[in-house]
Amino acid sequence: NIQSIKEILCLSGPDLQRLTKLSSSDVRYLHKTVAAVVKNDPVVTALQMYNEECPFPTQNRKLSMGCPVLDLLLGGGIPLMGITEIVGESSAGKTQICMQLCLSVQFPRSYGGQEAGAVYICTEDTFPNKRLQQLIALQTMLRADVPADIVNDIKFGNNIFIEHVADVESLNCCISKRLPILLSRGLIRLVVIDSVAALFRCEFGASDSIAKAKCLQKFGAMLHHLSHRFSSPIICVNQITDAINDSYLAQSDFGLSGKVLPALGLTWSNQLLMRLMVSRTQFCVEGAFPGDESALSSGIVQRRMEIIFAPHLPQSFCNYMICTEGVRGMQKTGI
Amino acid sequence: MVYTCIPLLHCLELGISKEEALEVLQIVRREASGEESQRSVGLPSVRKYTALELLEQEHAQGSIITFCSALDEILGGGVPIGKIVEICGAPGVGKTQLSIQLVVDTQIPECFGGLDGESVYIDTEGSFIVDRVMDVAHAAVQHCHLIAEAGQDEVQLEAAQAFSVSSILSRIYYFRCHDYVELLAQSHLLADFLAEHPKVRIVVIDSIAFPFRHNLEDLSLRTRLLNGLAQQLIGMANDHGVAVVLTNQMTTRFGPVQSTLVPALGESWGHAATIRLILRWEGKLR
Repeated sequence: NIQSIKEILCLSGPDLQRLTKLSSSDVRYLHKTVAAVVKNDPVVTALQMYNEECPFPTQNRKLSMGCPVLDLLLGGGIPLMGITEIVGESSAGKTQICMQLCLSVQFPRSYGGQEAGAVYICTEDTFPNKRLQQLIALQTMLRADVPADIVNDIKFGNNIFIEHVADVESLNCCISKRLPILLSRGLIRLVVIDSVAALFRCEFGASDSIAKAKCLQKFGAMLHHLSHRFSSPIICVNQITDAINDSYLAQSDFGLSGKVLPALGLTWSNQLLMRLMVSRTQFCVEGAFPGDESALSSGIVQRRMEIIFAPHLPQSFCNYMICTEGVRGMQKTGI
Repeated sequence: MVYTCIPLLHCLELGISKEEALEVLQIVRREASGEESQRSVGLPSVRKYTALELLEQEHAQGSIITFCSALDEILGGGVPIGKIVEICGAPGVGKTQLSIQLVVDTQIPECFGGLDGESVYIDTEGSFIVDRVMDVAHAAVQHCHLIAEAGQDEVQLEAAQAFSVSSILSRIYYFRCHDYVELLAQSHLLADFLAEHPKVRIVVIDSIAFPFRHNLEDLSLRTRLLNGLAQQLIGMANDHGVAVVLTNQMTTRFGPVQSTLVPALGESWGHAATIRLILRWEGKLR
């Protein structure tokens, strides 16, 4: 009455012996044969992974941010497999960065894209469509590294699928039903959820932390699975909460010395591959960029992108600005 | 090698009577004297050791340095062969970094204080990024070259020549397990792999927590599976002379007054590892 390979592997040697009356060496053989069916990939070394000779997809390539300075900070861009979180106060630029990624994913691979579109899941405000159109119109200006005819050939608007989701139930539905279809058809290679925190904070009260943690875990697992299966990054936007005194403990979880904490807690953080924090600084940049005179009498607010954690990057940061054509990192000038 | 000791309590656990337990002991003792015939059948041979012999054997096994003197000191010289070390910590504290450092450090040639071994990395989260491994490997190579240049020792200079980033990468065997079923399967195949690759000196599983924390509602099943896995790993650590390093996540334990952070996977799992390292942040330092 053993029904599946999974059951065989979940039973210990002695248990199997009792159930099947096989000898211990036969049981060992059974375990190994079944295991070989589950794990039939050939052995791979790190060198083969580096040379891209690996038969299964690995975490080599990245999705470009559309800006060389930001790409440098991130070691090439956003890793293709895993959940990357962008957390920060409001007006820090999270939505701007996400929109820029929805455009850069559509570029050819040789220019850091994935030659596919994106899904943008909105949970709070309506999607800023006018701003998107403005960004699309100015892509040649932002991406001076790409020949203009290639840029103009891409029908950016057609490849961004916008979903509005108002509660956790609809979000789960979207992720479990709609995303797999778009991903398996190769129509999208990026998912943006803006924002995760909004939904979970509304639906779960202070006393529901266990239920909330379970829900977040399930949700994270689904996203993780999709991301790895289709080599598509998932960007989750998160908000910050104020750190109050007895959350010293929680602060010490993240190595943050400021007065703010990402919302959603440890359960969620355990699911993330990388966490980026964005914030406004108190500095402004005088209109230094040509073509940007419109915005500039008071100077553009300088913003900061900080790597809070990533498996492959040290903690570091980079300043950036939000220009008409998009998000541009600012190179560190010698001090 | 099986160290035999069947106390009375244990046979109560197994559900066999004392008479049956004595019978088993007698069979084992008989097998111990007939070792040669057992080997050809493939059964594990049995030897009795004194405690002193065991201690000497432990010291002779060697350990893998981490390049962080504070850590090496706590560990008594480094990550020890033949034991399980569990590294726990919050996200971003450096568990994957330490794991990658260890699979590189295992390969340091003996003349520089390393084990000249190969490494196995089992990735369950997808956080093994080759670029980073290259950086760590590069630093290790530089380090050895510097020592060799300073000392001008023949053996060291030769070893430093052969120790390169690509040689390091080519001796890290990478396995990707997407869920706990794959991880269980991998552990069954690992013993044979280690037998075929006798130069492997470290097995890292990063992380052991991830696959066991979602899609696994039945906690007693989880405990059973983890215990089984721990036993297999300890067996492999001993039989093949490898160090086993596991990374674990942290979870919140709700207390009456305040909550604390504890390693994930439950109380009984806490006994699986020989050494448990908990990495924490102190302000902005780790």
